[in-house]
Amino acid sequence: MTDMASIEGIIKILFVVVIIAAAYIISTRNILSLVSVYSLQSLTLAAIALALWIADGKIVLLEIAIVTIASKVLIIPYFIATIQERIRIKRDIEFHYLNPTTSLLVSMVMMLVIYFALSRILPTAPGTPSLLFFGAVIGISLMLMGMMVTFSRKRAITKVMGYLSMENGVLFFGMFVTELPLIIEFLIIIDLIILVLLTTILAVGIDSTLEEYHNRLHRFHLWEDKEDAS
Amino acid sequence: MILTAFVVATLVAIGLVAICHTNRQMNAVAIAHGIFFVAVAVAMLATVSLPVNTVLLGSQYFSIDHFGLFEILIAVVIFMLGAIYAGGYVESLIATGELEKGSLKLFSGAWCLLLLLIVLAFSADNLALFWIFAELTTILSAMLIAVLSAKENIDAAIKYILIASTAMLFSFIGFIFLFEVSRTTLGTGSLNWTELMQHAGSFPPAMMIAVFAFVFIGFGAKSGIFPFHTWLPEAHVKAPSAVSAVLSSVLLNIGIYAIIRTAALVHQTSAMTIVSPFILLFAILTSGIAAFSMLPQRNLKKLIAFSSIENMGITLIGLAIATPVAVFWVIFHVMAHAFTKASLFLSAGILHRQYHSKFSGEAPDDIRDVFRLQPLAAWGIVIGGLAIIGMPPSPVFFSKIFILLQLVGYSLGALLIVLVLIFIAAGAFGYFVITSFMQRESPESSEAPEASGQTGSGVPPLSSGSPLDFEQYETPLGMKIPIIALIAIVIVLGIWFPSGETAFISRIVADLRF
Amino acid sequence: MSLDFVVYMMVNTLLVIAAAPFFVSFIKKVKAWTQGRRGPSVFQTYANLAKLLKKEVIYSPHSSRIMRVTPYVNIAAALVASLFVPLAFVPEPVGGIGNIILFLYLLALGKFFMALSGLDAGSSFGGMGSSREMSISAVIEPTTIIVFAALAFVFKTLNIFTIFSVTAGSSTPVTPTLILLGISLFIILIVETSRIPVDNPETHLELTMIHEGMILEQSGRNLALMELSSGIKLTLLIALLINLVLPFGLGTTLTVAGIAIAAVLFLLKGVLLGGIIGLFESSMSKMRFFRLPSLFAMAFFFSTLTIIIEVFT
Repeated sequence: MTDMASIEGIIKILFVVVIIAAAYIISTRNILSLVSVYSLQSLTLAAIALALWIADGKIVLLEIAIVTIASKVLIIPYFIATIQERIRIKRDIEFHYLNPTTSLLVSMVMMLVIYFALSRILPTAPGTPSLLFFGAVIGISLMLMGMMVTFSRKRAITKVMGYLSMENGVLFFGMFVTELPLIIEFLIIIDLIILVLLTTILAVGIDSTLEEYHNRLHRFHLWEDKEDAS
Repeated sequence: MILTAFVVATLVAIGLVAICHTNRQMNAVAIAHGIFFVAVAVAMLATVSLPVNTVLLGSQYFSIDHFGLFEILIAVVIFMLGAIYAGGYVESLIATGELEKGSLKLFSGAWCLLLLLIVLAFSADNLALFWIFAELTTILSAMLIAVLSAKENIDAAIKYILIASTAMLFSFIGFIFLFEVSRTTLGTGSLNWTELMQHAGSFPPAMMIAVFAFVFIGFGAKSGIFPFHTWLPEAHVKAPSAVSAVLSSVLLNIGIYAIIRTAALVHQTSAMTIVSPFILLFAILTSGIAAFSMLPQRNLKKLIAFSSIENMGITLIGLAIATPVAVFWVIFHVMAHAFTKASLFLSAGILHRQYHSKFSGEAPDDIRDVFRLQPLAAWGIVIGGLAIIGMPPSPVFFSKIFILLQLVGYSLGALLIVLVLIFIAAGAFGYFVITSFMQRESPESSEAPEASGQTGSGVPPLSSGSPLDFEQYETPLGMKIPIIALIAIVIVLGIWFPSGETAFISRIVADLRF
Repeated sequence: MSLDFVVYMMVNTLLVIAAAPFFVSFIKKVKAWTQGRRGPSVFQTYANLAKLLKKEVIYSPHSSRIMRVTPYVNIAAALVASLFVPLAFVPEPVGGIGNIILFLYLLALGKFFMALSGLDAGSSFGGMGSSREMSISAVIEPTTIIVFAALAFVFKTLNIFTIFSVTAGSSTPVTPTLILLGISLFIILIVETSRIPVDNPETHLELTMIHEGMILEQSGRNLALMELSSGIKLTLLIALLINLVLPFGLGTTLTVAGIAIAAVLFLLKGVLLGGIIGLFESSMSKMRFFRLPSLFAMAFFFSTLTIIIEVFT
């Protein structure tokens, strides 16, 4: 039983790490560190899944952890970092509507609102573990924070990062509220990868001139032009 | 079985597209693909007793009921006509250099795949699976928008992806909630629609409100509901017209379909009384924003796009009332809107080829002498426009009038507002058609803005540089047939209500337990 | 006042005064290492202070009494504040000593006089430094209050002594709230001691200096006192952070061996934290003045989160 308690303690600490990463994602202007913090956040998520697996023994959680590490810690950050190197955008210093300071304050208020809203909706009898409930609250908060990033940034590449961290929130929420079949989790990840691929490739076009963009697409072999070549 | 046939057909089509070399061959593949889908869907309608059981589909996650088949039929017909139309349209895009030859394969391949995904989405029984297919349709249709590879197109595509996908994550949260609800009440969690429908009556109302709220955010964005409608005009305007037709007639339906399904679940609990005023509020806001945006619109495609938003609002109004009659007409409206809007976008496509209007959507159209140059497209716009604003005896007229009649019993104030909005939208459409289509080719009118440009207003004259003599664009037959077919469908739908159709839609309403 | 407390006062004050110059130069050393330099010896600050103490004091002819009083007020405030933060040994609290709010006000008092003296001589750099310092203080104030309020809320007391004896006695090494509080306090430490994203303690570049600008007119013995008091401030904040997050070894009973071990441990932990500060400073570039609020908002966010977590669990 002490094992359970210590796992719960570890999970709580990981919660905090996730939130710190989210706060950093909201406020940083450096794209490269944005990517690494995102992969740190995903790694934390995987660690939480592992900890839950040790506690519950549900094999689905282990699989989720593996899938998360493969896709969100390795593939996607690597891909974005590569793209980012090519377009040579290091910082994103323009913001719509909200600057980072306001976003942080707003997200704080939102957390409270979500807390109260969820405490009404979710069946939290005194017996239910508060850990799961907190997981749900943090999951949705993470989503809203990601949404603020998506809406307040101007560069497409940072918007994508916001979307990705939103998706982390969904995974988080799903992990704590209920257990979904792995196949669905897996399909979501596939969807995520396609979306990221497409958006970043398109985004490369946004941040440069058109000719350059075409050259880039050719270089990535994404735009085949056989009839011209022959 | 059936789904396997669909999948295999699409794979074959994509394989053929990959080895094709000319546009004509690829287009033939796309048309054949469309015709195959229509044939299978019609065969299903004619022979199989609904709901299609799992043995025929080959997976427990899929099931086609009346509603699904209804949406599939709309989708496949519009895709087939769109494919026929796309042949000539794409040819012309390549001729003017707006579309690169290299991206032809991408276009045809994505087109076939999109149809498959839409059919799979409508036949998914599992809501999470449905969500994933819906999300993939967003990505693929964004690809079809970005295929023109102009900067504005990419911009619009990214905006579309980000807004729609961001919002769709919320609806996934909604489905997770739903799963949890079913898990706590049924013991084992399930997202299978048929199972949920059987037990929805025992779900706790408070949770169902949350479920609906989240799902509504997501799929509302997908179908252009306020406040997430901002992507819609841009995406629809900048896409190639064949794609615009599909976006507006089929992809918007996906969102509405999900909202109707979720509302059907909520309807069985007591939560509907709380939810329906909110649906009505957002429906009226959506229609209102769209109607007022239509009023000053000088760009044909943008006008049509906003009209889509307005019609989605009207659909939701019917859903908010949630009486069987209202839902019947909601479903009828979905169909009527789809065909009418497709005919409008396809006609607008011809006009765009004729006048080489920019796809930016900000510039006003410069339409002149339209009845001499493009009589078919002009009449297509006129008839389609009359149909979409609800002139009797168009199908939209019937759905609108019956939804409004149902609204009488719900709220008189809302009725008044909606009536005013419908009139504004109609007026905007009429004003645009009358002012632009009456324009004759006259040297004075084109010199006037240039003179004002010289006075130093700083604004570049809008029509300067446009040639006075438009060369007539030879519209190929392939682009004319779909428009004629769609207009014929619209007229037939308006004046002939076969008993089979009524029974079919009534069956959908019964399935949804409204 | 018990004997314990008298011993505590003497030990603590001596330890603070002895450790302060060491930490100052150690952070400099770490920064030098990250830049690939050897850097001055870790005892350089002692030598500097000794040298300055021997030099004569020169006052600007335009300066008033403020200039003469400020160094003494500053060092007095710093030394009194040092009584509030036990470094190595936590006695029973006596009277108001250890009160968090009083502690903050003592620090603010020193800062206030420093800003006044910056203005006093009438040099333009001093005025600039003072105005910047005061603007930053005004912006950081709500954050500081919230951070310390969170601290008080978590431990249900306003007394630093009680807080430390709780942390020293607790068995769980790290809790989520402590992590959040630690980050908030770290940001406060960076701001209050004029470290890099906010101010650069090394330069005398007119465009960026804040703290250095204010003490530009000080000389000789007075400068030594000013330097020492800012070193003490740094040491106190380091001690606060260390004894909250890494409290092991902190003594609660009075024994000679205990104090000696605790003092050595404190120095080691201080070296660790000083290393972190140095690395942090080296990895950051100085922030634009108007972007600083986002740094403060971070601390604000985390400490509010701490309060939320404490209220709802």
